[in-house]
Parts: sequence; structure tokens; C-alpha cells
Amino acid sequence: MNRTLRAFIRKELIQTLRDVRMRALLFGAPIIQLTIFGFALSTEIKNIKLAAFSQPRDAMFGRVTEGFYASGWFARAGYTPGEDPFELIASGRADAVLIAPKEGLARSAERGDGKMQLLVDASNATKARAVEVYAKNIIAAAAAREYGARGEPALKFDVRVLYNPAMESSMFLVPGVMGMLVCLITIILTAMSLTREREMGTFETIVSAPLSNAEVLLGKTVPYIILGLADALLVVLAGYLIFGVPVRGPLWQLALAALALVVTTVSIGTFISTVAKNQQQAMLGGFMFLFPSILMSGIMYPVENMPKAVIAAAYLDPLMYFVRLIRSIMLKGGDAHVFWTNLGALALMALSAAGFAYKRFRQTLN
Amino acid sequence: MNPAPVLEVRDLSIKFGDFTAVDNISFSVNRGEIFGFLGANGAGKTTTIRMLCGLLEPTSGSALVGGLGFEDGGKGIKKIVGYMSQKFTLYNDLTVGENLDFAAGLRKLEPAYAKKRRKELFELIGFARPLSTMVASLPGGVKQELALAAAMLHDPEIVFLDEPTSGVAPSSRARFWSLIRRITGLGKTVIVTTHYMDEAEQCGRIALMRTGRLIALDSPAELKRTAFPGPMAEIDFKGGDAAAFISGLAKAAGLLELSPHGMRWHAAFRDKAAMDAALSALPRSASAGLIQPSLEDVFIRLIEGAER
Repeated sequence: MNRTLRAFIRKELIQTLRDVRMRALLFGAPIIQLTIFGFALSTEIKNIKLAAFSQPRDAMFGRVTEGFYASGWFARAGYTPGEDPFELIASGRADAVLIAPKEGLARSAERGDGKMQLLVDASNATKARAVEVYAKNIIAAAAAREYGARGEPALKFDVRVLYNPAMESSMFLVPGVMGMLVCLITIILTAMSLTREREMGTFETIVSAPLSNAEVLLGKTVPYIILGLADALLVVLAGYLIFGVPVRGPLWQLALAALALVVTTVSIGTFISTVAKNQQQAMLGGFMFLFPSILMSGIMYPVENMPKAVIAAAYLDPLMYFVRLIRSIMLKGGDAHVFWTNLGALALMALSAAGFAYKRFRQTLN
Repeated sequence: MNPAPVLEVRDLSIKFGDFTAVDNISFSVNRGEIFGFLGANGAGKTTTIRMLCGLLEPTSGSALVGGLGFEDGGKGIKKIVGYMSQKFTLYNDLTVGENLDFAAGLRKLEPAYAKKRRKELFELIGFARPLSTMVASLPGGVKQELALAAAMLHDPEIVFLDEPTSGVAPSSRARFWSLIRRITGLGKTVIVTTHYMDEAEQCGRIALMRTGRLIALDSPAELKRTAFPGPMAEIDFKGGDAAAFISGLAKAAGLLELSPHGMRWHAAFRDKAAMDAALSALPRSASAGLIQPSLEDVFIRLIEGAER
């Protein structure tokens, strides 16, 4: 390796890792945030307070209800049988209420009309969606138990969750949060380190050495690509150890996807540093990019549900491709078509971002 | 001393858009010289130095640094010069050793050569602390000496120092200047900018810059002689009323320059006869004595002359 590049890598790593605040940002923050995001969502989905009402006591309805509580997602809501189910939800003492048909579930089902009513608190849309999906699965399982494999039209529900239903919750979120954290840290770190160098005046010393522009740019970015990749690895490990999020696909896919993302984000950080006058501006510039990119990435809200204009913009969001890639690799084993199309798009972005950053960087040298 | 010029500047101008930072200057510097740039902020000193270090290309005119021009975008020049910029050039969050290793890496020096140079330079600047010392913990003067060592690690022919002693304690400034003299003693050429008049006195020659133009260039002694061919008196009114006498003195024939210096006044005259005539009416309570003009007097006279 080039002697100058090696000197840069050593210097940047020492500077970054010696600073306690930087160490915390690099290694502490991802773990803490991952934990908060992961657990916050999983408790939310897991402790759905459910109340169940049936007028005449009904053994079949009782078994269905037990199925809900046994699933692990639902908890018993505190209530007394005579209460108004709407009031229960309005007061927040229950997230959902399951009500048996008037003449009892078993008899109603015999007549081909086994319709239970499920009241769901939709003020939290994510939770409501989860409740609906879980309920369908649990009721379908109950129907199979009661009537055997032939099934009964009265208790038939179609199941929309294709994989492990848990994928809708923390499994689904953790890979996305990984992308977000790596993106955040590399952009901010790169932009800040370059801006600090300009602000302090040490950049003047670097450019007074007989180096090509490319050497200076590589020297200031390669160390952060290395740190970004280390961070990605750390988050994958933490996701596995804390949440049991597996890596079902090949590791080389994961490595390539992370590399393409980190090259893109480091280039964006470099670009921000050519516009920012000081470190505060660099930080703000970083967040100006990060917020929309995280919102449009599909980490928290599905891209398909967004307005057309936002979907069009999301196609310019490198994080969206990475989130697709990493979910496919970690949870579904890395489908080749998904991998190559999204990696292709992300690699294209990485190259154009790097080219653009290089051009801006060269302009600002003089 | 070899009188061959190591630096030749001809009709050089540097423009940033419509703004002319350096306006048609010409000069040359000889090997082994201490060459000083003097001037206010924004006079064009730093721009000139950055250009001579290969960081900026001249808009017009020519500059040869160690015989090299800008054909390769300044890369050749960068190899033979050392540059210590106005701002701090070392990293506070790295140790002495790490800073010098990085400086060596920037110049692609062989590790063995860099180590040898480091030893030589530590001897030169009298640095005896461990390599693992954090730069942040060093006193200001030592930091600047170390920054100079880092700028000279690749053994440059010409060393450019842009306000190397700003913000450094007076005793450390004196130490730094004796270091500069030792460097020129080794056959290096030092080009330095400063705000301090006492430092300017120590330069072989001084280039006085104002709004991008070179308004004077000579040795300190010659500058004084040209600016003040006649005698200069320092008048001390010892607390008495000066206003009446000063307003009369300002109109005296043969007065070249009259300027207040704290509680005293400096008055320069064309010749001794003019001085004697002008000072004959001096109030009894006041006293006047002959003094040598300082560079500050020269500076004031030349700058005011340029403004007239």
C-alpha cells in the first residue's frame, strides 16, 4: 500500500479511537440504539392487551381465547365481564377486544357463520396491523384444531404472513436500524473530520505536501470506510447476540452490500465537508441528508404506502437499496435477483457519489 | 554565502475573481538569506507565500522557486520547500512521534531516513522529551519549534514561515529566532512573515507589503536611511501641555514625519539645521533627544507615504 495512505489510515484511526466521545459514538451508540429500537418495538408488539367477551359461556370460544394468550403476543387486559368493550379501548386498558357471536361460537360456526368481532385500537397503526395479522393466524390455527385439516368455511382466514410472523417485528426492524446507524456514523464522522482539518488549519499542511488530489481524498476517506465496515460488523454481531437476528445469506453478500453503502455515505460526508464552513454546519448538513433518507428508506414505514412523488425520491435513497439488501440477506437467505439488482443500483450510487465528491473536493482545494 | 538567487519573482499578480490579492510584484531572494515580509493583515503576505509554496498558481507573471516553475502544478516546488502555515500545523490529539510519522508519511519518506532526520532536528531545536508526549501538553514555544521540525523533515531548500511566533511568549520568540539563524547557517533560505517590528529587525532584508503591492524592499538599516535621511528627535513633554507646540511643529519647514508614541512624540527632519530651528521654541518643561528611527517609524512613514 502507498506509504502516504498508510500514514493517513494510522493517523485517522488513532485520532478517532483516542477520543472518548468518538469511541462512544462509534461503538457505544450503535449498541444502545439498536437495543432501544429492537426492544422498544418488540415489547410493543408482544404485550398487546386483549379482552375477550362471550355472552353465554362458550367452550370453543374459551379455547380460541386461550390460543391468543398462549401465542406470547397477547396479554390479559384487566377488566370485569360486564364492562363496555368500547370503553375498555377508549381508556387504553385494552388494545383489542375479541367478542364472541351472540348464540356462541360453536353453534354459529355450525350454521356456517362463525363470525367473531375483533375491536382494535388503531391509534397506533403499526400495532393495529400486527394485531390483525396475529389474530388471523391464531384463529386459523384454532379452526384447524377444532375441525381438523379439512377446515370449515365459517372459521377460515387467509394468512398473509409468509415467513415467521416474528419477522414483522424486531427481526424486520433490526437490519434496517443497522443500515441507518452505519449511514449516520460514517457521514457525520467523515464530514466532521475533514471540516475540522480545514478549520484548524492542519489541512494546509496536508496540501503543501507533493500529493495528488486523489491521494489526499483517499487518505481522508479510506480510514472512515474501514471504520464504517467495522461498525457494520459490530452491529450485525450485536443484532445476533441481543435479538438473535440471523444472517441466513452468505457473508460475502453482506460484505459487498456494506462496502457499497459505506463508500456512498463516506462520499456524501466528503461532499458535505466541501460545503460546510465549520464542524457545526457539517453536523447539520449530515442530518439534513439523514432524516429524509431514513424516512424514505423503508426502515420504519413501507415505501409502497408512500405517495408516488416520495416513492420516486426514494429510488435516489442509497439507504433504501441497502435496507432491501440487508433484509433479504439476513432474513431470507439472499435471493440472487434481489441481491444483484439492488447491489447494482447501490454500487452505481457509490461510484457517482464518489466521482461527484472527488470533483467538488478538487474544486475546493484551490 | 552563495549569492545565486533561489527565488525569483517577476511581475507576479494573483487574482481571486475581481479581487487582486497580489499586484505586480518583483523580487529575488538569495540562498541563505532571512527574508521578511512585513505588512498589515490582508496586505498579500500569506497569498504570496502560499503561491511560492506551490499551493496557488500565479494569475500572471512568473515565479521560479529553486529554479522550478508551475509546469507540473506546483508539485516540484512542494518537494523542495517546507511550509509552516499561520494556523497551528500539528495535531494536538496526537503524540510528538505520531505527528512526525504522519509528516513523514505525507512526504513518502523512508522510515529509516525519517528517523535519522527526526534525530537531527530534535538536536537542532533542542527537543528532549519522549516521543509519546501529547502535543496538547507542550508549551506554545515548544509546539512551534516542533512544527518547524515537522516542516523540515524532508530537508527542504527553502523554508516558509507564516507568522511563526504569533501568540508565543517573548522569551520563546527569541529562542525561535535564534533557531531561524541556525537554519540559515546550514545554507537554507528562510522566508518569514511577521507583525513584530523587533523580529523584522532580525531579517537580512524586508519586503514591505500594502494592499497587494510591494512598497519597499531593503535591509532594515537601508530602509531607515532611505525613509529618514536626516536626524530624528524624541520629544517628551513630561506631562506639560503639548498641543500648542505640536500644532506649530507640524507646520515647521523641513519636517518629514511627526507621530505620537505613547506619551512622547517622534519628529524626523530633513537635516540637522531644520531640526535645530524647529526645536528652538521647545517649552522649558519638555526635553528632546536624538534617537535612531525604529522600523515602526519607517513602517508608519512608508505606509502613510503610500496612502498620500
